[in-house]
Amino acid sequence: MAQTINTAVTRTDAPRKVTGTATYAADVMPAGMLHGALATSSVAVGTLTGMDISKAKAEPGVLAVFTHDTLPDYKSVKGFYSGGPGSASFWPMDTAPVRSYADNPSSASYWPMEDVRIRYAGQPIAYVVAQSAAAARRGAQLIEATYDVSESHIAMDPEQSFVVGAGEDSKGMVVTKGDLARGLSSVAQIVEAEYITPFQHHNPLEMFSATAEWRGDRLTVWMPSQSVRTLRAGIAQAYGLAETSVRVISPFVGGAFGSKAGVTPYAMLTIAAAKAVGAPVRLIVTRPQMYTVATFRPESVQRFRLGADAAGRLTAFEHIEIAQTSQFDQVVNAGTHITRAMYACPNIHTEQRLSRSDTNSGGFMRAPNEMQTFFGLESAMDELAIKLGMDPVALRRVNDTDRHPVEDVPFSSRSLMQSYAAVADSFGWADRTPEVGSMTDGDWLVGYGCATATYPTNILASNARVRMQGTGQAYIELAAHDVGTGTYTIMAQIAAARLGLPVGACDVVMGEADLPVAPISGGSTTAASAGSAVHDACLKIGRQIAAQVSAMSEGPLSGVDPAGITLENGVLKAPDGRSQPLVEALASTPAGEIEVIGEFRHKAMTDKMIMTTFKGGYGSAGPVTPEMAMFAFGAEMVEVRVHRWTHEIRVPRLHGAFAAGTILNRKTAHSQLMGGMIWGIGSALHEVTEIDKPRARFLNTNIAEYLLSVNADVREIRVEMLEERDDYVNPLGVKGIGELGIVGTAAAIANAVHHATGTRLRRLPIRMSDLVGKA
Amino acid sequence: MRNFAYYSPKNLADAIAAIRDSGGDILAGGTTVVDLMKIGVREPSALVDITGLAELEGHEIGADRIRFGALARMGHLADDKYLVAAAPVLTESLWKAASPQLRNVARLGGNILQRTRCPYFRDTAYAQCNKRSPGSGCAALDGGETSHHAIFGGSSACVAMYPGDWAQALIAFDAEIHTQGPGGRRRIPFADLHVLPGDTPEVETILQRGEIVTEITVPIVPALKASHYLKARDRESYAFASASAAVGVELDGDAVRDVRIALGGVAATPWRARAAEESLKGKPLTEESARAAGRIAFADARELEGSAYKIKLGADVVAGALMTAKSRANGGK
Ligand SMILES: Cc1cc2nc3c(=O)[nH]c(=O)nc-3n(C[C@H](O)[C@H](O)[C@H](O)COP(=O)(O)OP(=O)(O)OC[C@H]3O[C@@H](n4cnc5c(N)ncnc54)[C@H](O)[C@@H]3O)c2cc1C
Ligand code: SF4
Repeated sequence: MAQTINTAVTRTDAPRKVTGTATYAADVMPAGMLHGALATSSVAVGTLTGMDISKAKAEPGVLAVFTHDTLPDYKSVKGFYSGGPGSASFWPMDTAPVRSYADNPSSASYWPMEDVRIRYAGQPIAYVVAQSAAAARRGAQLIEATYDVSESHIAMDPEQSFVVGAGEDSKGMVVTKGDLARGLSSVAQIVEAEYITPFQHHNPLEMFSATAEWRGDRLTVWMPSQSVRTLRAGIAQAYGLAETSVRVISPFVGGAFGSKAGVTPYAMLTIAAAKAVGAPVRLIVTRPQMYTVATFRPESVQRFRLGADAAGRLTAFEHIEIAQTSQFDQVVNAGTHITRAMYACPNIHTEQRLSRSDTNSGGFMRAPNEMQTFFGLESAMDELAIKLGMDPVALRRVNDTDRHPVEDVPFSSRSLMQSYAAVADSFGWADRTPEVGSMTDGDWLVGYGCATATYPTNILASNARVRMQGTGQAYIELAAHDVGTGTYTIMAQIAAARLGLPVGACDVVMGEADLPVAPISGGSTTAASAGSAVHDACLKIGRQIAAQVSAMSEGPLSGVDPAGITLENGVLKAPDGRSQPLVEALASTPAGEIEVIGEFRHKAMTDKMIMTTFKGGYGSAGPVTPEMAMFAFGAEMVEVRVHRWTHEIRVPRLHGAFAAGTILNRKTAHSQLMGGMIWGIGSALHEVTEIDKPRARFLNTNIAEYLLSVNADVREIRVEMLEERDDYVNPLGVKGIGELGIVGTAAAIANAVHHATGTRLRRLPIRMSDLVGKA
Repeated sequence: MRNFAYYSPKNLADAIAAIRDSGGDILAGGTTVVDLMKIGVREPSALVDITGLAELEGHEIGADRIRFGALARMGHLADDKYLVAAAPVLTESLWKAASPQLRNVARLGGNILQRTRCPYFRDTAYAQCNKRSPGSGCAALDGGETSHHAIFGGSSACVAMYPGDWAQALIAFDAEIHTQGPGGRRRIPFADLHVLPGDTPEVETILQRGEIVTEITVPIVPALKASHYLKARDRESYAFASASAAVGVELDGDAVRDVRIALGGVAATPWRARAAEESLKGKPLTEESARAAGRIAFADARELEGSAYKIKLGADVVAGALMTAKSRANGGK
């Protein structure tokens, strides 16, 4: 059987998606289903003084209108709101500043429609149930609310920031090593600068939806989710149900990017409404409402002070990150613990700060800790290289390190400079002339820029059930998710490679909370963690079948000591050279079929981490364990062109080289990295959620005016995946790649814009308007 | 969306009667009107679908004018190679607009009558919008985000920007529109079609209720062949103009005999830059004179908070567009 790992395998679910037979959550229509719609607040802060629902109720087709006083099961859902689920959950367990998923799957403290309070614009204020989606939406439009409006502000004030957490909780939020002041006193060059990133929204193509059906006290919820078990835990808690009474189903997800990670108010309201009307209800959130009923990437300010000696060696490294959060949560996308892992430096100080404003709670958006912080760090490194008169790649080389600069443990593997070498080669970095504005082509100013990419290797406990039949099929089941990334395919590949079956004979079932425990698909964990559990299950099958056939009186392995039998590419092999294909061996056993639970536990996982993951939380043993620091690395190089007349900024070439351990599927991995890089172009040049300051509202809440990169913006993207072996991270040697590609792209582009034009832009996105009158 | 009645008349007379009797809105491709209905900004009681009126289809390049039926699709015209050769500004301003999907359904009559993208107009959560609810105020001018608003032609009641591209080519080249309505037929210079917001931003054109645009004509002049539409936008496709220029030149040796300049992305209505045109007539067209014309075009712009960049950007875009037109006049691309 062909070795399927590290080959390019086409997605097994592609035909279903292309032919429209893949059933997404909102495709499900339980018998008797009604339709929901949300009415949302037009003001940001204040109290509701009145609501006229008479017109809505009179609209033909409208069956019920729920407001804060009529929403049923109010008590049981009280306090159960998630604007920014698990703000703490991506933080190492023992330094979690706020409660984690495990204690409170929503991790947020404010539930809309609880009372008359309004705490952010776009907060749900009423829920309409009707016979058709059109009638429900019309009903919602007809609701007239009056408010007593209080002052509000939507942009954070960085001067009003505070350190995340309090007391013990703030451990890890302020980190000092060495003596920063001393490091700054004896430097050849210092860069001190502030980099600003905006609010951004995920805008997945698949709309947010929830469909809830009650049968007595049993509940089924169909909802696109990247964490079905978190969702189930939250719903069960809110309604006082046993988890076994709640089914959560999410077989396909049309883009999540962090926006479908937790328990959201629209889901909880839909469940409540379905209970009240005694019929299944489906809500599809409108595009504008998607900006306020889930999460977003909070705006941030990244303050850096980097000092280096004349040779470019860092002597001082300070990073203070100030990120926006809501008035009621501490949403922490802690980027400083990633930036301080990057470069060797004896004197380091980092602070993780927040500043509040009147919004729903932010959350995770692809590379939630890294996108913003690496725009800052890698821009600052470029500025430092220029001050030192050094090539930017050389500056990274001088500061490369094989030990974590703060934790003082080795990296389990680190191929940063190999990545730079590979990308420099493919890109042609040697052709770059360092002087600003020195490269032009007709009406275009040309610039080359580069930046480091990294992503922490998060590893979580996972199980997987594999059932194999002697007739040559395997069924792989686990509560993991394919959020459009190719997980169905890679799980089948892993099983196929181990069991010696064709990929097509391995059927993968995921996206249901009832399946064996698998972690949230967030933080680029699934391939590494859930994949390792599938791998383990297959090895167990091998061992158990080996034991059976070696005990049999006949057969190729009869009488062999089972302890010596290994499973290689689907073949059981004895030390003496005898062998038997696993599927044949299985067929010869009395049952002809076997089912096992595989498990992935890393030696660095504490019991607490494992339990956290089992409860639907985020118990990652990474990226830093007591022994090792685990990160994937890469480097990106970009050519930017700025037009002399229109000042338009275009990206004709973007190359990246990445090393992330074992690459399971070269095709889907390529797509993930490329997709990340494309989103990096968007972050650099296009994406921003504009704000209306006087009324504290998100403004461009549609995908005509919220600019996402389109095909024409994406020209040559080259992705190189380097060989890297890492036996520490997990048995498969896999590091996550889902988020790696986006990290660094924005800085590479900003650096290239500077090279082309001489204008240093420290605020994203970089727009024509920033260059007018300058270049 | 409010429920509405739907009519699909088969001839102009029936269409005019249907609009009169129903009080409904005209529906062409629907990419503006249905969009506004979905978000609750327009709530017509009826839609009169005119896409069955065959006499409003098609386009021809005649001896002295080009005729466009009001129902011609944006996407079809952009692909007509004769039109591309005869009047590049007319095709470029079409294919650089919207997306292929939109261009396949949107019609030219609807295109010129598209509504502003002012986010406050488009979101009924804002109580203040004089254009949507006359007399309610203007959220944009009340401390709002105005970096995409009009720096020409705005009033203290409304600074909404006219977002269309094709209209800039039409106004630059003295197009006319032909209409038929309850009061009979009319021929209207395109420049007179849109009206400034003044105190009544809810009124955007001089069209009367039930008056249907039947065709659009553009006189053929030498500058049309050496014309260009330059659109500056942050993403390469599917974005409204941050600033754009529809231009054309006719040269007499070195000297400019005829020049046309209209500005997109900056004004309350389609906007002709006559002073900039005058500055060039009879003189050589050089990078310097083109840049000067760009500055003149924006001399009386009224800057709004966040929109200062449009003044400089717009001037550069005008200059860049003129240089391309010059090269076309000299037989280049
Ligand atoms: C996401 C998006 C992006 C866009 N980007 C651009 C862009 O970059 N550049 C650009 O120029 N445009 C852009 N547009 C606007 C688009 O070009 C217009 O919506 C389209 O041209 C309108 O044509 P339609 O046939 O769909 O008009 P409809 O929506 O059917 O009609 C528009 C208006 O005109 C009226 N009407 C239609 N036909 C007639 C007629 N014959 N006589 C009298 N009244 C009539 C209707 O009643 C309605 O008020 C964009 C639109 C969208 C939705
Ligand atoms: S600028 Fe015009 S359209 Fe926009 S809010 Fe003001 S009045 Fe309304």
